[in-house]
Amino acid sequence: MKLSRSVSRPLRRAALVALSGIVLAACAPGTASTTGTADKGSGTLKVWLYDEANRAPKEKVVAAAVADFKAAHPGSDVQVGYIPTDAGPRAEKMKGAFNDPASAPDVVEFGNTDLFGYVAAGGLADLTADLSGWAEGKDLPQDLRDTATVDGKAYGLPWWIAVRSLYYRTDVFTELGLTPPTSYDGLLDAAKKVRAGKPDLLGIAVGGKYTFGALPFVWANGGDLAAQQNGVYAATVNAAGAQAGVKAYTDLFADGICPAQRCADLTGGKTVEAFASGTAGMAILPNSSRSAVDAGAVKGKYAVVPLPGVAAGSIAPAFSGGNDLGIMKSSQHRSLAVDFLTTLGGKKHQLALFDAMGTLPTLASARAEVSARDPWLKPFTDTIAAGTKFVPKHPGWAKIDAQAVVPTMLQKVITGKADVGAATAEAATAMNAALGAK
Amino acid sequence: MPGPIVLLRRRVPAPVWLLLPAALVLVPLFGYPMYQLGLLSVLDFGQPQASGGVPATLAGLANYTQLLGDRQFWDVLLQTLVFAGGCVLATLAVGGALAVLLTRAGRRSRLFLMFAALGAWAAPAMTGSTVWMFLLDTNSGLVNEILGTTGHNWMYDKWPAFVIVGAVVVWHSFPFVMITLYAGIQAIPVSVLEAAKLDGASAFATARLVLLPMLRPLLVIVVIQSVIWDFKVFTQIYVMTTGGGIAGQNLVLNVYAYQQAFASSDYSLGAAIGVLMTLILLAVTALYIRALRRSGEEL
Amino acid sequence: MKPNRLANSLVVAAGLVTVFPLYWMVLSALKPDGELTSADPRPWTWAPTLDNFRDALGVSGFGRYFLNSLLVAVVVVLLSAGVAFLAAVALTRFRFRFRTTVLVMFLVAQMVPIEALTIPLFFLVRDLGTVAPGLGLSSLGSLMLVNLAFSLPFAIWMLRGFVAAVPESLEEAARLDGASRFTVLWRIVFPLVAPGLAATSVFSFITSWNDFVFAKTLILDTDHQTLPAALLVFFKPDENDWGGIMAASTLMTLPVLLFFVLVQRHLVSGLGGAVKD
Repeated sequence: MKLSRSVSRPLRRAALVALSGIVLAACAPGTASTTGTADKGSGTLKVWLYDEANRAPKEKVVAAAVADFKAAHPGSDVQVGYIPTDAGPRAEKMKGAFNDPASAPDVVEFGNTDLFGYVAAGGLADLTADLSGWAEGKDLPQDLRDTATVDGKAYGLPWWIAVRSLYYRTDVFTELGLTPPTSYDGLLDAAKKVRAGKPDLLGIAVGGKYTFGALPFVWANGGDLAAQQNGVYAATVNAAGAQAGVKAYTDLFADGICPAQRCADLTGGKTVEAFASGTAGMAILPNSSRSAVDAGAVKGKYAVVPLPGVAAGSIAPAFSGGNDLGIMKSSQHRSLAVDFLTTLGGKKHQLALFDAMGTLPTLASARAEVSARDPWLKPFTDTIAAGTKFVPKHPGWAKIDAQAVVPTMLQKVITGKADVGAATAEAATAMNAALGAK
Repeated sequence: MPGPIVLLRRRVPAPVWLLLPAALVLVPLFGYPMYQLGLLSVLDFGQPQASGGVPATLAGLANYTQLLGDRQFWDVLLQTLVFAGGCVLATLAVGGALAVLLTRAGRRSRLFLMFAALGAWAAPAMTGSTVWMFLLDTNSGLVNEILGTTGHNWMYDKWPAFVIVGAVVVWHSFPFVMITLYAGIQAIPVSVLEAAKLDGASAFATARLVLLPMLRPLLVIVVIQSVIWDFKVFTQIYVMTTGGGIAGQNLVLNVYAYQQAFASSDYSLGAAIGVLMTLILLAVTALYIRALRRSGEEL
Repeated sequence: MKPNRLANSLVVAAGLVTVFPLYWMVLSALKPDGELTSADPRPWTWAPTLDNFRDALGVSGFGRYFLNSLLVAVVVVLLSAGVAFLAAVALTRFRFRFRTTVLVMFLVAQMVPIEALTIPLFFLVRDLGTVAPGLGLSSLGSLMLVNLAFSLPFAIWMLRGFVAAVPESLEEAARLDGASRFTVLWRIVFPLVAPGLAATSVFSFITSWNDFVFAKTLILDTDHQTLPAALLVFFKPDENDWGGIMAASTLMTLPVLLFFVLVQRHLVSGLGGAVKD
């Protein structure tokens, strides 16, 4: 018995209508289910921290903090997970956390430049009240506190910082009768003399892709990438001060110092390698590069001074890089999370972290203790004391960083594809698009 | 009267049953995301929207006009077409030549090259690119050391950089072509080749008039696959030119998409670029298939 | 054909050029850190060390990641072989109205850049997880399913040629002898296509083993990570651990090479089948 044609056709049509209905209902793109914050008194806290290749020292510090936390909160536990440090994969994990609150942690470690994007995505909880009520919080310097504040609200606790200073070859300087530079002109002079005296060395290892190596020069000349007026950011990278800074940095890419061919596409990491392998007379490196440099050929043959500013004896403002601790908005254990955060971020464990990994504590007294213990850190703490600066505190910074606006600008000048005026104008346009955007 | 299952089997043609498993996997996991891709490209959808905090608004064709109006997009598109085209031709040439040589080489040298090629095919793209980046490093690379050109930056100029990255792409892709074509040649009956030799055909003529036509179906597959893969190259360019080269001179579309959209969670812009890339590839492949049809080949 | 001297030397030369980067990878994995970043690289080392391998294997969970990758790859290979085989039979042995359209759609499926599909896939898998617990986010099942979906189009295209190479007369003879359609497929077509299956399974294995995009999108916990994630630990923003990267890469490449050795006998004869179109 065959199904008659006249029955099957309306059946087919009905199926089609039903199908399109289902399809249209599934129309909207997926979004994360918004769950409110809860505040369960006990339970297991999920914590995400940055991974390291050699994780054992960090794990020990964290374990100590966990022990302290558990002592204060019997019946609760902490589950620590480590996420990749590299920007791409880490961004994926964080995206995953934002898009699926069920997989999100309670406490999370993140880069301080990531904060604004995360706040705009609505992922972080407001910690203003918790931090102002925290005893040790008063020890946090204002400029560091500002790096974690958006619209007057604090969203993170700076956990550790790293700043850059000038590493230089003591053996080369002694041989050529040079003294560590104290001004930009001195820096330029020393670099030229190093390369002139030792032609197979770079005067100073600088990179066209090294944004945070270039920014101190911009800031030292009174300029900045962008400025905020009435809560709105506008690019100022094409203003006089910034242009002078860009010129100061790109002038270091002369044949007599760091030839464009060799240096135009160096990243910060590559300058570390160049200095560590002994092919550069100077380099602008963070305190965290100490182990890498000591593992190279220049161990024992270098010293560090603060990166000089324009005027003699001045210090160029450094970028305060570092990581913050924050609490996800989707956390179901808010008070517990705050307690763990303040424990891990407190002085005791910040000092332990320094011992384990060489990262500088953010709390002022901890930092003083650490620099008293280890004189090697003096140039870095001096640089911090002279005042650090930050990138535009705007979610658009993520876009500016991803699109490599600053490296492109630097490279155009270095390779002669554009002069400083044209390159900075182009960069300003790109930045304004990112800053003015959603 | 036959039972319902037999009725069903008669009513639904056999190919549908055979295609069902594939459809069950592909329609939800492919079809649905692709539909979503088109949808995302006409919305204003970034991380704030994905997290559910901000509602998604309709952007219409704004993402597309932004892309098509961006001078850099067209530069990158042209570069990608030239780069991919060059890679495809080079891969075919190298793979094909080596395939022919393999047939004439001794057993041990043949096994050596085969395993070397398999190793190149198996190595993750990131590894191959990193190793070559090491070897070509300006200050401490082996190549510069051997040639005595320490300080020469191979990636400094645009087209030399493209050639070098292209060579690495070819390194990764020639094994597929070589092994496929070699196997194809092996499958040609010896009698055919001997007949050609008896007729006095030179090696070159044999290759052109006998091998090529018999290998044509394989060549079609190999060319289309190579075009698709080389157009979508990402890792080699990203790693070796550290994200697109000096001032972005070595950007190809996939890296451009990452830089402009995915890296900063601008999902709708990324979706728009994805749609455009698919359409462009479709156009290129359609032209190729039409050329084939005209020469009498059937798909 | 008698081996030709010139061909021999050219082939060996090509082999050396091809294998050199792999040699460098293993060499770098064995070099101590100081030598790796030195300004004078040498294509040998007098102080080989297993430290980098120790670091790589010491990455927390390396063994687990390895097993996860292996599990996903094996399942994908087996499933894609089966599903693609059936689909290839449908597309070669039958003529139906939308045959060319379906074929072209499988081609188009390979054209979409997968990065663009990650967000829709993320939400799809998340929703799938609420219906089928084994297939949600951070589950190996979802990774298997997604990798399967993305290796099918190529597998179907490749297998098409091999199925077409099996003479229909064989099938007809078997059918005349009373064999059911299923028996024909299993007993006659499948064995003859086996070499082609070996070829496509190699491809599916490589794609799934080296997959990074899907793993980083869908796997959010550390228990279910796959091997490429272990590689990431060595990439730090300013100072990459090159020794660790090379050691981890070597460890990643070895299983694929082993898989090759297992199927290589079938591989060459298999790929040749496609020419008899």
